[in-house]
Amino acid sequence: MPHVSQTIRVSVLFFGRLKELVGHAEESLEIGEATTIEQLFGLYAVRLSELAKYRSSVVASRNQEFAAWDTPLRTGDEVAFLPPVSGG
Amino acid sequence: MATLPYEDIYQLVREPIEMAVLARHVRAPEDGAIVTFDGFVRNQSHDRATLYLDYEAYESMALAKMREIGAQLHEKYRIHRVAIVHRLGRLEIGETSVFIAVSAPHRGAAFDACRFAIDTLKRTVPIWKKEYFEDGAVWADGELPPTPTATRRGKPAS
Repeated sequence: MPHVSQTIRVSVLFFGRLKELVGHAEESLEIGEATTIEQLFGLYAVRLSELAKYRSSVVASRNQEFAAWDTPLRTGDEVAFLPPVSGG
Repeated sequence: MATLPYEDIYQLVREPIEMAVLARHVRAPEDGAIVTFDGFVRNQSHDRATLYLDYEAYESMALAKMREIGAQLHEKYRIHRVAIVHRLGRLEIGETSVFIAVSAPHRGAAFDACRFAIDTLKRTVPIWKKEYFEDGAVWADGELPPTPTATRRGKPAS
């Protein structure tokens, strides 16, 4: 029997100039299981070439913790893409 | 995460920061010093006259990171109480955007902890400011927070 791929639901947040590029701050998205943060960013970057240019100056978080780009996602995760921080 | 002393204060606010109240709050009879940091809006940036700033945050994560800084302060320095408050929204020239107060039995620890707190906040807390000028607006240059490198469990999905 062929492997039936499952989907997971995650919420994706954008901040600062990334939010302006993408056009919204938050959305809920259904993606394939074990999709990594990098692959999730790629889903947006293929539609928005401008976003792809920022890849090297973006960090990601998963459930409010900074996360490595190869982190696989689970259902219910909250992923955020964060530009360089400038508080203070 | 380490438990923080209940007297500590970590807040994101949209109203003016009450600096005197916070400084009084961290002050206790067993202390000998308070060091405070008052960061406020400068009237220019890269030789352009600033009109105002607009701050936004990933609020849940920003608060978690501010508490994490507090936990580090208590671990690294002999201090007593900590208050770290950042303001969000539109701020005019001269208004305080971030305020930090640290009390300690002795001044050295309070100075060191306060310096560590603001430096770490600026590098790791997900807050952003947009600078408004006469002829437009830009997101301020920031710092990319240090993040974990590749996880071992994270094998690429095929």
